[in-house]
Amino acid sequence: MPLLAYIIIVPLIAAGLGLIFRRAAGALALAAAFFALVAGCLLMGGRQAWPAFSLLAYSLNSGAYLIAALITLLTVIYSLKYLTQLKRLGEYYAYLLLALAATAGALFTNEFLFLFLFWGLMGLALYLLIGTGGERAPAAAQKTLIILGGSDLLMALGAGLVWSLTGSMEFGGTALPVNTPLTLAAFLLLLTGAFAKAGVMPLHSWIPAAAEGAPTPVMALLPAALDKLVGVYLIARISLDIFMIQPGSLASLILLALGSFTIMAGVLGALLQHDLKKLLSFHAVSQVGYMVVGIGTGLPVGLAGALFHLFNNAIYKSALFFCAGSIEHRTGTTELKKLGGLAGKMPLTFAAALIAALAISGVPPLNGFVSKWLIYQGLIEVGQFDRFWLVWLTAAMLGSAFTLASFVKLLHAAFLGQWSENTAKAREVSWPMWFPPLFLAGLCVVFGLFAYQLPLRYFILPVFIRLVVPGVWDPGLATIMLFGGLLLGLLLYLLGNVRQTVTRPAFYGGEELPEETIKVTGDDFYDTVKRLAPLGLIFRVAERKVFDLYEQLKLALDSLADLASRIEGAIWRSF
Amino acid sequence: MLSLLFSYLIFPGFLFLAVVGLLATWVDRKVTARLQYRVGPPWFQPFADLAKLLGKQTIVPEGGAKSVFLGAPLVGLAGAILVGTLLWSINAQPVGRTFVGDLIVVMYLLMLPSLALIIGGSASRNPLAAIGASREMKLILAYELPFIISAATVIYRARSLQFGGIVAWQLANGPFLWSLSGLCAFLAALLVVQAKLGAVPFDLAEAEQEIAAGAIIEYSGPALAAIRLTRAILYFVLPLFLTVVWLGGIDAWFPLKYLGILTLVILIKNTNPRLRIDHALRFFWGPVTLVAVAGFILAVLGK
Repeated sequence: MPLLAYIIIVPLIAAGLGLIFRRAAGALALAAAFFALVAGCLLMGGRQAWPAFSLLAYSLNSGAYLIAALITLLTVIYSLKYLTQLKRLGEYYAYLLLALAATAGALFTNEFLFLFLFWGLMGLALYLLIGTGGERAPAAAQKTLIILGGSDLLMALGAGLVWSLTGSMEFGGTALPVNTPLTLAAFLLLLTGAFAKAGVMPLHSWIPAAAEGAPTPVMALLPAALDKLVGVYLIARISLDIFMIQPGSLASLILLALGSFTIMAGVLGALLQHDLKKLLSFHAVSQVGYMVVGIGTGLPVGLAGALFHLFNNAIYKSALFFCAGSIEHRTGTTELKKLGGLAGKMPLTFAAALIAALAISGVPPLNGFVSKWLIYQGLIEVGQFDRFWLVWLTAAMLGSAFTLASFVKLLHAAFLGQWSENTAKAREVSWPMWFPPLFLAGLCVVFGLFAYQLPLRYFILPVFIRLVVPGVWDPGLATIMLFGGLLLGLLLYLLGNVRQTVTRPAFYGGEELPEETIKVTGDDFYDTVKRLAPLGLIFRVAERKVFDLYEQLKLALDSLADLASRIEGAIWRSF
Repeated sequence: MLSLLFSYLIFPGFLFLAVVGLLATWVDRKVTARLQYRVGPPWFQPFADLAKLLGKQTIVPEGGAKSVFLGAPLVGLAGAILVGTLLWSINAQPVGRTFVGDLIVVMYLLMLPSLALIIGGSASRNPLAAIGASREMKLILAYELPFIISAATVIYRARSLQFGGIVAWQLANGPFLWSLSGLCAFLAALLVVQAKLGAVPFDLAEAEQEIAAGAIIEYSGPALAAIRLTRAILYFVLPLFLTVVWLGGIDAWFPLKYLGILTLVILIKNTNPRLRIDHALRFFWGPVTLVAVAGFILAVLGK
């Protein structure tokens, strides 16, 4: 059997064994995830195929799988310490491995039918994993199942349409232009499933709901990494291999509009969250917008940016969720108001969170900057075909500034700022919990500095025949110069007497006020923005969950049921 | 490699930027003093201030994150030097080439000094500094919108986002400033530069009278010197940015162009009272953005 078979079968066997030998479940999961990582590295060599599920590995999906396997491994390591008290530990690891195996299948398969099989398995694993969480878990799991299940049905309908149009169930066999109502319907139906899994608005609301219920490592693995990788990978394949997205076409316009809306709405939602995990989950929504926008340009440079952003997002988003989990582990809360001053107490977690937060905000020379920069160029290039390009570009670039703003809030509220009751006695977590986020943060730096040499070269560029990058960015030289600046500054410090630092209490007006009375938590950093005229209205509307399709449908169904019961009552009375 | 080192350390890098920047802050202080019927400092005052700060004690707030607190100003300094070197080096390149980064890269690098101020202020464990940091962040949100649109106007007209291409277009067709669309974009960008400099009316992050220097309240000694030096370098780098993008690049007229922009900045600074943060947000998202959008529409119409 080829390697491709093993990477699906081995995790499943390990999962089964883990259910039987519950004591060894963690070790088995660790071994299986490590195997997956090694196999992922071996797959990078070239194209491989296994006809059984019509599996086909090439640079892009091998790269996605490598990242997926890496994050799964780190999640297992993290869970070894984080989830010791969980009752159904055996099942937890079994579901994790099920998710990994299903991800492998969904990434590598080249045919719709098998895709649905693996896609469904992924949804199931996610549902089961969310269910292992706390008391709010069942409701979250239910919401997730309904949204994902419903959109999967629509996707199946779309696949049926494509089959009736082309007679082929394979990817890459067709190049349908999206110009008739029928092809447009097929395109949109297929996208619905992928959008729901990736978390594009308005099908995003299961992610914040899951963030409240699910165990934190589950959030780091599935919505942040695996679901994104598979969901956006599928959007890319739908847009590339089944349909033809031409810049300036209707399909491109739909993707650009939805992506821009998702970026802005997601990040504005994140700006006002009061809970660490919920804040991160809104970014899990917002970042998908960048990938959708990049794919929507229909240009190689935008697409390359979108795919690179896909990898980057999985890396830093998982790191951030791990950090959130560590904070929760040590302080017992993720409410921003109750945190503060953890930087000195948990220095390694802080370092990881800082780097990941700067990476997601697109600060050069980190990885998030490179992929966003490529996407912006796609949006500028698309200006030759599309009159609205400035709107998309502004949404993307302003969204990046808002992302930075919400992470400044997070960093201040959790790590910098003043202590609180919960954080005064906190200390650093043990190595299985600080290593995964720190490793991923290191990867953020490496992918940023060696963007051209590593990720772009091995994962992404082989997909394109010819890639023209209109801009210029030399991360190596820029970083050397930035380091030079740091050294110069250090010299300046040494010229002064920085070595004789003294420590004094912070000074505010010369008063000795108890710290609790004048604490700036960071939680209310952006209340001025919230109250501003047009935004205030949008926020008030959003708080009533108008943008949440699930809640709106539920409301509609409720009123329908209400109407039905009234009619029934009326009929009953008339007798 | 040696020429790179020279260009980074001496000219147009650190030393050059620091000297010119400190002189620019002197011009600012002198003009401001004359406008207020004071004598004003001698030309070497900024250098003397810096030397004196280096000799002062470094005080770190108790319980703050020390390494972040002391490291943040250096990141801002490094970012400012990088942008200055990068912009000036366009000259040394053959026509049409770009060094290290394009317009979007520079827009992001220019965010580093502000970001350093925010992170440093936030790490100093002082409530007033936290308020200053949050104001600085909100100011970034405010001016990013018109800044993006102004930059897009230039990119649209030059059909290039590389500085080499932008300058080459201006060499062929005249500076962007001499057209209606370019003028609108320049006006919006000038106000953005004013805010990036933290100059009145946008000095809310430091607002001495309200929050006692806000984000930099806890800084002293060499760390404060680094912040001052960064600010001084920005006094040169930001007008340089405007010159390259809107005034046709660096040529024999450069000193005049630079002094013109500096005069505008000082004029705005001395004729306006400080804005409140919500007013600043409304100002940038309202009138300034409208001007920038008008510039873009004019550019599309070919004006």
